[in-house]
Amino acid sequence: MSTPGAAGVTDLRTYNPLVKVLGPIPVMVYVVLTRDVLTPAVVALVVFAAIALLGRVRPRVLAAIALGAPVLCLVMTFSFGMLTDPALVDDTTLLAAVGPVELWSGALETGLATALRTVALMLIVLLGGLTTTGADLVRAMTQQLRVPYRIGYAALAALRFVPRFGHELEVIRGAHRVRGVAPGRGPAVAVRRQAGYVVPLLAGGIRHAERVSLAMDARGFGAYPQRTDRLRIPFRVRDVVLLVSFWAGGAACVAVAATLA
Amino acid sequence: MLAGEREDVRPPDGLARKVRFAYPDLVTLPLLDVQDLRVRHHLPLDDGGHRLAAPAPDGVDLAVEPGEVVLLLGPSGCGKSTLALATNGLVPHVVAADLRGTVRAAGQDVAATRPPLLAADVAMVFQDPDAQVVTGSVLDEVCFAPENLCLPAGEVLARAEAALRQVGLWERRGDDPDDLSGGGRQRLALACALATGARLLVLDEPTANLDPDGVEQVYAVLRTVAAAGDRGVLLVEHDLDAAVDVADRVVVLDAAGRVATAGSVREVLAGRADLLAELGVWLPTATIAALRLRGAGVAIDPLPLTAAELTAALDAQPALPEPAVVRAAHVPPSGASEVMASTAAPVTAPVVSVTGLTFRRGASTVLDDVSLDVARGDLLALVGSNGAGKTTLAQLVAGVLRPRRRAVSGAVRVAGLDPWRADPADLTAAVGFVFQNPEHQFVTGRVDDELAHGLRLRGVPDGEIAARVEDVLERFGLADLRDRHPFWLSGGQKRRLSVGTAIVCRPKVLVLDEPTYGQDRERAVELLDLLTALHEDGTTVVVVSHDMQLVAEHATRVVALAGGRVLADGRPDAVLGDEAVLRAAGLRTPPLARATRALTSHPDWRSVTRLADLPVAAPHGAAVGA
Repeated sequence: MSTPGAAGVTDLRTYNPLVKVLGPIPVMVYVVLTRDVLTPAVVALVVFAAIALLGRVRPRVLAAIALGAPVLCLVMTFSFGMLTDPALVDDTTLLAAVGPVELWSGALETGLATALRTVALMLIVLLGGLTTTGADLVRAMTQQLRVPYRIGYAALAALRFVPRFGHELEVIRGAHRVRGVAPGRGPAVAVRRQAGYVVPLLAGGIRHAERVSLAMDARGFGAYPQRTDRLRIPFRVRDVVLLVSFWAGGAACVAVAATLA
Repeated sequence: MLAGEREDVRPPDGLARKVRFAYPDLVTLPLLDVQDLRVRHHLPLDDGGHRLAAPAPDGVDLAVEPGEVVLLLGPSGCGKSTLALATNGLVPHVVAADLRGTVRAAGQDVAATRPPLLAADVAMVFQDPDAQVVTGSVLDEVCFAPENLCLPAGEVLARAEAALRQVGLWERRGDDPDDLSGGGRQRLALACALATGARLLVLDEPTANLDPDGVEQVYAVLRTVAAAGDRGVLLVEHDLDAAVDVADRVVVLDAAGRVATAGSVREVLAGRADLLAELGVWLPTATIAALRLRGAGVAIDPLPLTAAELTAALDAQPALPEPAVVRAAHVPPSGASEVMASTAAPVTAPVVSVTGLTFRRGASTVLDDVSLDVARGDLLALVGSNGAGKTTLAQLVAGVLRPRRRAVSGAVRVAGLDPWRADPADLTAAVGFVFQNPEHQFVTGRVDDELAHGLRLRGVPDGEIAARVEDVLERFGLADLRDRHPFWLSGGQKRRLSVGTAIVCRPKVLVLDEPTYGQDRERAVELLDLLTALHEDGTTVVVVSHDMQLVAEHATRVVALAGGRVLADGRPDAVLGDEAVLRAAGLRTPPLARATRALTSHPDWRSVTRLADLPVAAPHGAAVGA
C-alpha cells in the first residue's frame, strides 16, 4: 500500500495504479505506429532504466528482464525477418539463401524493428504490472473509475484460480500418463492428449468456481451497491506529475531517436 | 439523485442494527427456526429444463438458540448440507431447488431475502478451505465480509482484529492465505465468519479435509465460540470423536431426509445408539467400543461418549475379559509373519523398494533421503500432516510423477520396474494408483470402457477383457451403470470405479492417495473393507491417510513422515503408541488407544488400539460398527 512521504517519490509502487497501467497508453499507441528501429529501442531502454531505478523490483526479476528482453529480441528479429516478403526488400543485400529461404538485410531490419516494438510494449506493461498488486488495481478501478466492485472483485477471485488450475493440470497429466492415454510423440497425438485434459479440468474448475461463489455470497458479497473502501487509493499531485512525465518522456524518446537518426 | 438512492439502500448504522437485533432477543426468538423444511434439488436435463430430485431434507423442524451447538447427523444423501445451505437462502436462491416450509434466521424470512443480505445474521464455514479464499492476504480476507456489509472502516478493522486474535492468526495477518496450513486456512474461514458479527454460525463438515492437528485447531476455536455463549452453532460433522464434547444437542436425519431422532447429545448418541447404527450414522469410537464390550458381556452403563469416559468406565470394572490382541498376534513384525505365511506366498524380495530418495520442488526439499522397503502382502499406511510429502512419495512410487533428473536423487523400484521410465502398459500390471479426486483419472466416456482401457492397452484378448470387466462391475456394484459417463456417477460410485480401474489390471501393488479425504464415514468404511479384501487376496496396498483410527484398524505397517523425512516406521501399535512421534508428525493418538492407554486398573488392556482387539462378541453383540 502507498505510504505518503518524500521516500515514496522514488518508489513507483506508491503511485496510483491507474496512472501506471493506463497512463502510458498514448506512448504505447505511438510505439505501435512507428516503423523505425531507433524509437522503440530508445523507449525500451528508458523504460527498463525506470523499472530498474524506481520499480523496487527484486534483483532476480530484474536480471530475468535484462537477459530475457535481448534474447527475445534476437529470436523475433530472425523469425519476423524470415516472414517478411522478399519482394518488398529486394533492393537490399541478400545475406544468405538456404534452398527457397532467403534472408535479406532489409528483411532483418524490418524484423528488428518489429521485435523492438514488441519488447518496448512488453516493458511498458511490466512497468505498471511489476509495481502494482491486483488488489490495488481493483481498488483504484472501483474508487476512481467507478467500475462496479462486483466485477472487480469477481475478477480478483478468479485470478486466484490460476495457480490452482496449474496444479490441477499437472495432476491430471500424471494421471492420464500412468493410465496410458495417447502415448507417443507427434503433434496429432499431443493434441489428442491435451483434449483429454479438458473435461476433468473444466469439471473441477466449474465446481471450484461454484464453491467460491457460494462462499462469497455467504459473506455478503453483492449485498449493497457499494462496499466499504477500507483502503483509499489516493490520486495525488505526484500521480499527475507521473502521468505528465510518461507523456513527456515518450516525446523526449521520440526527439532523441530523431536526432540520432 | 443517484447519491440519495444510494443512501436509502445502505444498511442501518450500528445503533439501528442493535435495535433490530434486540427485538428478537426480547421475545426470545431462536437464531434459526426451520419448520417443515422440504427441499427438492433441480437436476438439469439436456433440453434445458430440469427434473426434481427426491426430497432431502423432507419435513424437518430444527431450531438453534443462542449459546447452543446443534449437531446435525445423518447418512450421506440425507440433505444435511442442503439444510445448511438453506439457512441463509443459498438454497434455493443460488442453488436451484423447490422448497417447502419456512426458514427464519434472526427473525427474518429467508425465502424473501437475498443471501448476501443475510450475511450479518448467518455466517458459514464450508468443507474445502481452498474454495473460501477470495483475497490475497489474511487481513483482507477477514475484512471482506464487514466491508461488503458497508461497516465503517474503523469498525471493519476492529472486527477483523478481534476475529483474528480469537483464532490465533493476528500475527499472520500479512501472509497470503495459501501459505497457511489446512487447519490454519480453516481457522481463517472461522475468523471470516466471526467478523460478519452473525450470531448464527453454520459449519458444513469443517474438518473433513484436515489432518488431525488441523481438526484439533478448529475445535479449539469452536470451543471458545461456544463458551462465549452469545452465538449459536449449527454443525454438520461426521467426525464425532472431535465434535461430541462441543455439541449440546443432536438432530439425526434418516436416509429419506426425515428427522429420525433429536435430543441432547447423551440422550441420542448413548441412549439411541442402536437406532443410529441402523441408520448408518457413525458413533464416537468410545461408544462403539463400549457396545462391543457389552456384547461380550461387560456391563458398561451408561455408554461413554469420549475416550476419557471410556477409560473411567473400564477402570470402574472389577475385571475385564482378556483382549483379543493377546490371544492372536495379529500384526506381522516387519512384514513377515505367521499370518502372512499362512495366507500368502512366502516373503521374498520386497515388492516396492525406495532407496535414498530425495526430491526437490523449486527451492524446497519435499522428500529428504527416504528409504523404504515394502514386503509382499503388506498393508502400509503412510501418515503425516498436510505437506509432509506423503502424496509426493506415493506419486513417485506409482510413476504418476516422473521427476526431472536434476530434481531427484535415489531410486524407486516397483515389482522390478523403474516407475519413472517404464511403459504405461507394463506399469499398470505392476502398480495401480487411486487418486484423491477420482475424476482426475477417468479417461473414457463410459464406465465399462473405463475398466477395459488398461486391459486393451496391454493387448489382453477381447474375451478375457469382457470377463474381467464384468467381474469388476459386479463386485463393485456398478453393473447397472455400465453405459453411464463416469463424471455423472455419485461420489461413492466414482470412488469405487477409480479403485476398479486400478485393480482390473491385477497390479501387484495398489497405491491410494487419501481415499477417504472429504468422504463420509459410511463410504470410508466401505472402501476400507474393499481394501482389506484385496489385501487378503494377496495385493500389496500402500495407503496415504491421516485418519488415525482407520489406520489403526487396517494397516499392518505404518510409516510416519514429517518434513519429507521418515520419522517412524513399524507396526501400527508401536508407531501409533508413540505420542512424541505422533505429535512431531502433526498426528494424534487414535481415540481407542487414547482411552486404553490411560487405564490404571487393567494393565494388559493398555496396548489395545483396534476395535478388532476387543474381546470376541457373544451372539447378537456385533451389530454395531464396522
